[in-house]
Amino acid sequence: MPQTETYTLSMGPQHPSTHGVLQVRLDLDGETILKATPYMGYLHRGIEKLLESRTYVQGVPYTDRLDYVSSMNNNLGYCRAVEELAQIEVPERAEYIRVIVAELNRIASHLVFIGSLAIDLGASTGMLYAFRDREKVLDLFDLVCGARMTFHYIRVGGVSADLPPEFAAKCDEFLKVLPEFMQEYEDILTGNEIFQYRLKGTSRMTKEQALSHNMTGPNIRAVGIPFDIRKVDGYGVYPKLAFDVPVGENGDNWDRYRVRYLEIYESAKLVRQALDGLPEGDFMAKFPKALRPPKGEVYSRTEGTRGELGFYIVSDGGPKPYRVHIRRPSFINLQGLDDMCRGMLIGDSVAAFSAIDPLMGEVDC
Amino acid sequence: MKAYIDASLLAILKEKFPSAEYDSEATQPAVYVPAAEIVAVLSFLRDDERFAFARLENLTAVDYKTYFEMVYHLFNWTAGVWITVKVKLDHEQPMVASVTGVFPGAEFEEREVYDLMGVGFTGHPDLRRILLADDFEGHPLRKDYVQIMPPHVRRIEKGGR
Repeated sequence: MPQTETYTLSMGPQHPSTHGVLQVRLDLDGETILKATPYMGYLHRGIEKLLESRTYVQGVPYTDRLDYVSSMNNNLGYCRAVEELAQIEVPERAEYIRVIVAELNRIASHLVFIGSLAIDLGASTGMLYAFRDREKVLDLFDLVCGARMTFHYIRVGGVSADLPPEFAAKCDEFLKVLPEFMQEYEDILTGNEIFQYRLKGTSRMTKEQALSHNMTGPNIRAVGIPFDIRKVDGYGVYPKLAFDVPVGENGDNWDRYRVRYLEIYESAKLVRQALDGLPEGDFMAKFPKALRPPKGEVYSRTEGTRGELGFYIVSDGGPKPYRVHIRRPSFINLQGLDDMCRGMLIGDSVAAFSAIDPLMGEVDC
Repeated sequence: MKAYIDASLLAILKEKFPSAEYDSEATQPAVYVPAAEIVAVLSFLRDDERFAFARLENLTAVDYKTYFEMVYHLFNWTAGVWITVKVKLDHEQPMVASVTGVFPGAEFEEREVYDLMGVGFTGHPDLRRILLADDFEGHPLRKDYVQIMPPHVRRIEKGGR
């Protein structure tokens, strides 16, 4: 076989298929990838440092800017950590509202995933459909808090406002059309031969590889490990609600797509149950405005859209946190990129970037 | 953090590593180990079946002005139990052994600590800055880091224009 010279190709940071400013250097032999090294930091804003210079309550809107397509989940993770540190009891109604908005946001985020996966593989129609339906979720959020992105709706101690009276009917309407548009993706994308050919069997990963790279979220569930923090830790009111954790079998890009696709149905199930079981009561806990948590530290985690979102907060008893560290799932999931790309072709690397679904706002923090 | 490791297991750990220290009065005591023993302690916690902490969920560092503290949060999924292991490091020359040999998934997190906090890791496979530019000077998450204003930004003094 003729030997070709190994050379390096830099993809990104300005590349349409790298989902923001991710740069990947590919070591190539012909068109086969020998090694893929991610370079990040182009969107680094120093959010951990910024949070040290704000009070605990002022820190919430900064977390919106981490994973900006599922801000509700970031708000939830940060607020739960502060509440655990300051020992604030959240009213049950607020917990239910949190489940509704966080799961709706998970649906919106997975729709972005499906849309961007489709366009990365050349199916621009699929992208238009997914973004059309995400708009329906954003309209619901507009109703709830007046914003379509970066919501700052979940606050320390509860949520910023009660659900408006017309929300239940609008949300009900959305849950009714959800199976219809999901069926459309099934027809347009899942059944498409090219789509299947590009995803099945590419970027396969074993359970051992995924565990050793400490991957979480849909990426680890795709290899067949049912690691979902909503089940493992059972935080908030999740233990009272029934839902399944979809897992894949082969750990290829197809399973990563299917796991997220099925998770949309599970999230819809959760929203339905939380809407039906929504109790009356307060939506905000009572706690002193100048919050000074006792001296100590906490590591609190939630299941973000992309995996385990952890907040490690150290308090020195003052009004501002002494140190905040954010365990961002996208950042740690990127460790698996090398294994996913090795032996694949350049074209498949685009599918791998898309299937791992990193969000640069979160990676670079 | 919900369930924390049992006091009897902590006593076993103390027996195995006499230099490990923890506050037996506290409800969720962090285990402090010397920097030289961190790799041995973590591999013991991972491999011993009484502990079986197979997941390193979080790794970070905190600057306490006179010393640095490395923080490792380990989780045992089958039992649903946590343990926090900490290492105190010198403030002048913070150096610790890399735990990537025990938990390969710590690679990026250690690079991040190296980048933003300036802690060196011996035995790390690829220790480079990860978020900041290669020619960046200083480590922003240190408490004594002074932000240099870009030349076009002028700070307005209080009371004046």
